[in-house]
Amino acid sequence: MAVFTRTTKNLIIKIDEFFDNIDLGILVFREGIKSYLNKDMESFQRHLQKVDTLESNADKLQREIENDMITHSILPQHRAEVAQLIDELDEIIDGVKSTLHEIDIEIPEIPEELNNDIIRLAEASASAAEELVPAARAYFKAPFTVREKLLKVYYFESETDKISFNLKKKIFHESRELDLAHKAHLRYIIHHIENISDLAQKAADLLSGMAIKIVM
Amino acid sequence: MTLFFLTSGLFLGWSLGANDASHVFGAAVGSKMVTFRKAAIIASVFFILGAVIQGSGTSQTLGKLGAVNAIGGSFTLSLAAAITIYMMTKFALPISTTQAIVGAIIGWNLFTGNHTDSSTLTKIVASWVAGPIIGGLFAVLLFILVRKFKRSVKIHLIRFESYIKTGLLVVGAFGSYSLGANNIANVMGVFLPAFNLQNLDLGIITLNSSQQLFLLGGLATATGIITYSRKVMHTVGNNILELSSEAAMIVVLAQALVLFIFSSTALSDFFVRMGLPPIPMVPVSSSQVIVGCILGIGLYKGARNINFKILGEIGLAWVASPVISGVLTFFLLFFMKNIFNINVGHRIDVPGVTVVAPVDQVISNTETDMSGIIKYLLMGIMIAGAVAMIYFYLLERKKTMEHRKSEERFWKNLK
Repeated sequence: MAVFTRTTKNLIIKIDEFFDNIDLGILVFREGIKSYLNKDMESFQRHLQKVDTLESNADKLQREIENDMITHSILPQHRAEVAQLIDELDEIIDGVKSTLHEIDIEIPEIPEELNNDIIRLAEASASAAEELVPAARAYFKAPFTVREKLLKVYYFESETDKISFNLKKKIFHESRELDLAHKAHLRYIIHHIENISDLAQKAADLLSGMAIKIVM
Repeated sequence: MTLFFLTSGLFLGWSLGANDASHVFGAAVGSKMVTFRKAAIIASVFFILGAVIQGSGTSQTLGKLGAVNAIGGSFTLSLAAAITIYMMTKFALPISTTQAIVGAIIGWNLFTGNHTDSSTLTKIVASWVAGPIIGGLFAVLLFILVRKFKRSVKIHLIRFESYIKTGLLVVGAFGSYSLGANNIANVMGVFLPAFNLQNLDLGIITLNSSQQLFLLGGLATATGIITYSRKVMHTVGNNILELSSEAAMIVVLAQALVLFIFSSTALSDFFVRMGLPPIPMVPVSSSQVIVGCILGIGLYKGARNINFKILGEIGLAWVASPVISGVLTFFLLFFMKNIFNINVGHRIDVPGVTVVAPVDQVISNTETDMSGIIKYLLMGIMIAGAVAMIYFYLLERKKTMEHRKSEERFWKNLK
C-alpha cells in the first residue's frame, strides 16, 4: 500500500510539474516575442534556451506520466483521455519552441508600425494557452469548474483570430512599401504566433468533453 | 460413493464461482482497476471465510423449505439445478443459482410427498423481489454520499481513484464474504441433513460437520473463480463499464450489504432485540441485486431509457428458473429411484408440521475419511498458495527491474 501511495503522490507531482512547464513556456514565449521586437537579441537567445529546456522537461515528464499510468494501472477509465490531454498541452509548448526557432532562423524584418499589433497578437494567443492550464489543473481537482474556466480560452482564441485578420489586412492592403515576399514572410510569422491559440482551442475542446464525462 | 454423490454439489459450487462471484469483482477487473489475479485470490479466500463462518443461516431456511433426507436425493437435486443453470445459460437466459435450487427442493418435496412450507416459500420469494429494490436504494444513498464527499473535499482525481482502487478491493472482499455467507446454502445446503462428519480440529479452529461441507463447497467455488471467471468478469465489466469507477464500487458495496443483511443471524437477532421483525435468512440472487443497484443509480441520474428488457428478463428468471428446475428434479428423481434404485428420500413430515433436521439411519454417516481428506486438501492448498505467492512476487520484481532498466537505457540513448 505504501508503494502504491508513493506512486500516486509522485504521479500527481509529475502532472503538476508538467503543467508548470507549459505555464512557464507560454510566459517565456510572450517575453521572447517582446525581446525580438525590441531588438534585444541577447534576451531573445536566453528565452530561446529556456524554452528548449522547458520543452525537453515536458517531453520527459509526458513519457513518465504515461508510463506510470500504464504500469501502475492508474486512472484506467480516463487514462487514454488524460494521455491525449497531456499530448495536446505538449503540442502547445512544441509550437512555442518552433515559433521562436523560426524567428531565430529566419530573422523576419518587422516594420516598427506593426510592433504593437504583433505584441497584441502574441499576448492574446499566449493568454488563450495560459488560461488553458488552470482549466486542465481543475480537471483533476474540481472538474465541475472546468467549463467556466475554458470560456476564457475560447474568448482569447477568437480575439487572436480578429487581431490576426486585421494585421494581415493591414500588411497586404496598407503597407505598400513592403514587397510581396516580405508580406508573405510576415503572414507566415503571424500564422505561427496565431497557431498557439489554435492549439489551445483544440486542447480546450478535448478538455471540455472530458469534464462532462467525469462530472456526469 | 459418498464423494461421488457430492460431485453435483461441487459442480454447482464451481458454476457459482464462475458466474455469480464474477459480479463482485467484474467492474473492478473489467475496468482494469484490479488485476484478475488479485481479484481471484481475494474473492476465493473471502468466499470460503463467509461460507464457513456465516453460511449456516441461509442453509437453515432452505432446510425448512425441504429437508432432503437421502444423499441420493441431494445429489439429484443439485444435478437438476446445475443442468437448469447450464441449459438456461446456453440459451442466453438469465439464471440465478438460488432460484434453481429452490425450484429443485420444491420438486423433491412434490416427488417424495413432503409438504412445502408456504410461509418459508413466501419469505424466500419476497426476498427475491426485495433484494434488488433494497440494493437499488442502498446504491442511491451511497452514491449521493460519495458525490457530496467528492465535491466538498476537492480531492485530486488520481488520489481519489487510488482510494477507489483500494475501496474496490475492500468492498470486493466484503462482497465475496457476503456472497459466501449467503449463497453457500445453494451449493451445500441440500447435503447438510445427509452428512454427519466428525469435528475437524485445525489447531486454531474446530470445524463442525456443516462447516466442513461449506469449506468443500467454498473450495469448489474458489476453483470456479480461478479457472473460469476471468472471461465472465471481463464481460460483466464491459457491460457495466458505463458506470464510473466510484459508481462501480458503490454497486458492489450495495450488493454486498444486501447479501450480508439476508445472511447475518447476529443482525437479525439485533432487530428482534430492538422490537423489530427478524430479517429472513434467505439466499438471494447476487446478479439480480446488482442489476437493481445499477438501475437505482441510473434512475437517480435521470436516465430516461431504462432497459425494460433486462427487467423483463429478471421477471422471467423469477418464474422460469424454479419451474424448470423443479420439473427436471421431479423427473430425475423418478429415474434415479425407479431405474437406478437409488434412495432419494422419503416423506418425513405431517402436513402443516415442518421438520427442520430429520434424523435418518440411512443418511447419518460418520465419515472419518472425509475429514482426513479435507485436512490434507487444506494443507496442500496452503503449501501451493505459499509457493505461488513467492513465485509471483519474484516475477513481479523481475518485471519492475527490467522496466526500470529499459527506461534508464532510453534516456541514456536520448542524451
